[in-house]
Amino acid sequence: MRHVEHVMGTVVSIDLADDLPEPTLRALVADTCAWLHEVDARFSTYREDSEVSRFRRGELDLAGCSPDLRHVLDACADLWRATDGYFDAYAGGLLDPSGYVKGWSVEVASARLAEAGSVNHCLNAGGDIRSRGRTAAGAPWRVGIRHPWQPDKLSWVLAITDGAVATSGTYERGDHVRNPRTGAPARGLRSVTVAGPDLALADSYATAALAMGEPGIAWLAKLVPDGYESAVVTEDTRAFTTAGLPVAL
Amino acid sequence: MRRSTAAAVGTLTGAALIIGVRLSVATPAAPVASSASVDLADPNLDAEPAATGTAAAGKSGKKGESDSSGEAAGSSDEEAAAGTGLKNGDHQGTAVKNPYGTIQVTIRVSGGKITAAGATYPTTADSATINPPAIATLKQETLQAQSADIDAVSGATFTSESYVKSLQAALDKAGA
Repeated sequence: MRHVEHVMGTVVSIDLADDLPEPTLRALVADTCAWLHEVDARFSTYREDSEVSRFRRGELDLAGCSPDLRHVLDACADLWRATDGYFDAYAGGLLDPSGYVKGWSVEVASARLAEAGSVNHCLNAGGDIRSRGRTAAGAPWRVGIRHPWQPDKLSWVLAITDGAVATSGTYERGDHVRNPRTGAPARGLRSVTVAGPDLALADSYATAALAMGEPGIAWLAKLVPDGYESAVVTEDTRAFTTAGLPVAL
Repeated sequence: MRRSTAAAVGTLTGAALIIGVRLSVATPAAPVASSASVDLADPNLDAEPAATGTAAAGKSGKKGESDSSGEAAGSSDEEAAAGTGLKNGDHQGTAVKNPYGTIQVTIRVSGGKITAAGATYPTTADSATINPPAIATLKQETLQAQSADIDAVSGATFTSESYVKSLQAALDKAGA
């Protein structure tokens, strides 16, 4: 069963491949969408009444935060350290954990689906993917990485069963990623894809590497022992991959 | 690679000069477990050809409990080159502990001059990721522009509006 949901300022494509009764699949899709809208309501920085907005204004202290928000704050702090400060939820001055929240919400959505009986699915949140199991045809999920200049072409195709694929790039929303050390727009890399076990981390790592610019290529190599492979395209069209990138045959 | 080797040798030579002052005192064996990052027999270095470790090890009275790459501690020719005070031979500096393990510098003196320098570095699990052999790199390849049968597209985050024109939207339409 496939479903497309507009949420969190983007579009989430839900593809459930389990051989389950249609009402069950329908309920699973509904639960997934409800969770994503809940995350949007609680974590959006565009909503005055969200938990994040209230925390920003000091109306909530750390003790008053939900366990989810505390997890997000902890994760953002860990990522700040793990990325030499290039993943910075406070880059704009005020807390903005959106760079972590989207990936995390989809990671949680996938775990919830698995717990509820869907062990074969693929969720794509605006280009960031979390899959489990196999397609209805019994094959690994084939995930194309968009060509950074040709929207209808792919630069790589990956074969993924249980895992995440996240891409950060400058070609979709312009200079939305900045180098937190200089405040200047990220330069040097056109597209960074990270594939690994956790979508929240893969997404954050990809964003951090993009912010680093060309030094991000060497930094990504250090993530390989943790299970995160990567593919990079520079602004001058050079392409780089780690040796273990799960490229489809 | 060539440049980083030169940089490493430069740094080590500096360290070796400091250590060199104390070489006459003692050269304790260090619990280090891997080979020197700079090969003392490296032909690129301006050294007189010598088999690393073997000849010197024969002269060495005792060795440390853990074999440290075959470099013997403190064996040296008796003759010191005039003027410099540096004795010919391989000299091992004091093992220095840092948060990542124990590092020990070795220099080779020939004709009163330091002709090569190397260092052992730890290879424990904790330190493996920060030491030279463990650091992999990304390989360069040709950027492709292919079309293929796929289930999903990963790309820079699109907005709700730009989704309509995306490949993912076409996939969703086809699969619906």
